[in-house]
Amino acid sequence: MSPRLHVVLGGGGVGKTTLAAGYALALAAGGQRVGLLGVDPSRQLQRTLGVQLADLDAPLPGAANLRAAIVQPHQAVARWVAEGAPDAAARLDRNPFFAALGDRLATATDVIAAARIAEWVEGDPGLTDLVVDTAPGVAAIDVVRAPRLLSALVEGRLIRWLRAAAAVGDGRFRNVRFGARRVLGGLASIAGAPMVLDLAEFFALVRAPLERMLGRVERTRHWLASGEADLLLVTSPRDTGGAAAREIDDALRAEGLAPRAVIVNRTWPPTVAAELATLAVPAGAEPFLAHARATLAAQAQVIAAVTTWAPALITLEAHPALTLARRRALAELGASLCRDLDPVATRSAS
Amino acid sequence: MGPGQQELTQAFAETALPRIVFVFGKGGVGRSTVAAALGLARARRERVLIVEWAVADCIGPWFGSASAGPVPAEIAPHLAVENFSIDEALRAYFVDHLHMGFLYRSVIHSRAVARMLAVAPGLAEMFFLGQLWWLITLAEREAGLVFDRIIVDAPATGHGASMLDVPATVAGMSVAGLLATETARVVGMMEDPARVGALVVTLPEPLVADETTALIERLTARLARPPLALIVNRSAAAIAGPAPWLPALAAPLSPSTRTAVAELHGELLARNEVERALRATAPCPVTSLPELPGRSPLEVVRAVAEAFAEAR
Repeated sequence: MSPRLHVVLGGGGVGKTTLAAGYALALAAGGQRVGLLGVDPSRQLQRTLGVQLADLDAPLPGAANLRAAIVQPHQAVARWVAEGAPDAAARLDRNPFFAALGDRLATATDVIAAARIAEWVEGDPGLTDLVVDTAPGVAAIDVVRAPRLLSALVEGRLIRWLRAAAAVGDGRFRNVRFGARRVLGGLASIAGAPMVLDLAEFFALVRAPLERMLGRVERTRHWLASGEADLLLVTSPRDTGGAAAREIDDALRAEGLAPRAVIVNRTWPPTVAAELATLAVPAGAEPFLAHARATLAAQAQVIAAVTTWAPALITLEAHPALTLARRRALAELGASLCRDLDPVATRSAS
Repeated sequence: MGPGQQELTQAFAETALPRIVFVFGKGGVGRSTVAAALGLARARRERVLIVEWAVADCIGPWFGSASAGPVPAEIAPHLAVENFSIDEALRAYFVDHLHMGFLYRSVIHSRAVARMLAVAPGLAEMFFLGQLWWLITLAEREAGLVFDRIIVDAPATGHGASMLDVPATVAGMSVAGLLATETARVVGMMEDPARVGALVVTLPEPLVADETTALIERLTARLARPPLALIVNRSAAAIAGPAPWLPALAAPLSPSTRTAVAELHGELLARNEVERALRATAPCPVTSLPELPGRSPLEVVRAVAEAFAEAR
């Protein structure tokens, strides 16, 4: 029995993190045992929840049944290396390539996230739901794409050659066979032999954790493609024609995946447009009213455009209290999303 | 007068634009709009290239052109767009620039290495910056490409800012050979205020503003100088202020619509508050662009370009 995975995707500033946090709080309040993982390198999730989060999941203060974490590549890799061999961790710490790899290189976040998802489920068998808040825009797709990229890396011959080179530590690579020597020598001519040896040592040190990571990443990939994963695509009602959401949808489909639903977030009720259309305008109110009408027209356009391609569409009304990042308002928003998703989601009792 | 023109003129009067202008900001703040508008405005008197790094270029289609690929494509007079591709950048670097076709085919493009390069963190960023260096240095001699100004539509906050960390990170590693030379060139370029500067785009919304403040700190530390300017997009300053008319407007409305209108107005006032705070704390000139709802992307770009046109 595997838990349900909910991946929240969307362009920047559409309210992804707010929805992910609210959804997780609502699921937890409904008695589920929930995990919440932030992948966004800007750590928006910490700001939304108003707490510090870390690489390892911890209970969220004041919320029963809910544990939260953010993806921190450097800490995660160091932890995975230390799990297998504590002495390797010390050597890894001195490796300049690893030092350079830190959190600063945000491109690693998405790859680590895919492994972190499966690791979480291994370590917490009672978990029923895992909510993932992704990076904004199509960068988010890398969480989905990471498994394929990483397996390509770990299974590659280059890693084997580098390990062989590391075992001897000879900058002329005499211990590896000819084809490998040509490639490693070529890399050394580009970046210098010490750099290639540092890289080789790095791959030798992370071998076991990388293989464990690959296994996890594979499980995440299967999970994403299974009926147990919901991809929720969020859009703003002001994005021209929902273009950013469409771009993510296209990228998902290129990976053989599809969103369970598209959420148009922060909409105004439909009755507002009709009433404002016929309103007499008091003096001085013209700029504001023009703004209000244009906002509503843009919303209608987004909804019409998204309807043409979305498998299911959910509109969530604007929620001003959320600007204060209040926990209860977040949970109410999440509960409303749960209700809307209910007829859409095929929540099995598996 | 275009929107915010006087203020923009002032903001840009203090510093001449560097050869390469990075446009940074969180996703969804209008980074591409600002990049395109600045490009369109500068194209009135110089040759401009906008460099994007996206799954698909969005600026070309705004101008009725196809999505741009890795080769600069003209979308308006003196205005071209290219969309960075790491594969093409590697090929161009080793084959066209270094004339090392054999090394490229036998090492870089070999299955074993290509697989690793696809996931090597920082590599694409390094080549992206390297290509910018090439564009302002060798592109004319090697490829007949002449651009007076390069505008970079940088990736969204997290990925974009970490791009600036990469050269120093690589320089701190045990690199030698070609990579060391390239890194030194890029580091030198990034340190030079005549060659590189950053514009930051934000929205007057609380969470976005927090992130923008952090981004400005990071950019200022990494470049050892503040951004050229902070641009507050979708400013509500011209729409919402004291509203003596609000009760009269709300009187004939149903309760739910009245609530919606009050919330929308309150949201605009809150935006003004956030904008004031940003203006008070930013270490660089701040300028605003008004909200322009209901206009097509190209119309917004043109309106914003008018504002940029008068700035130096």
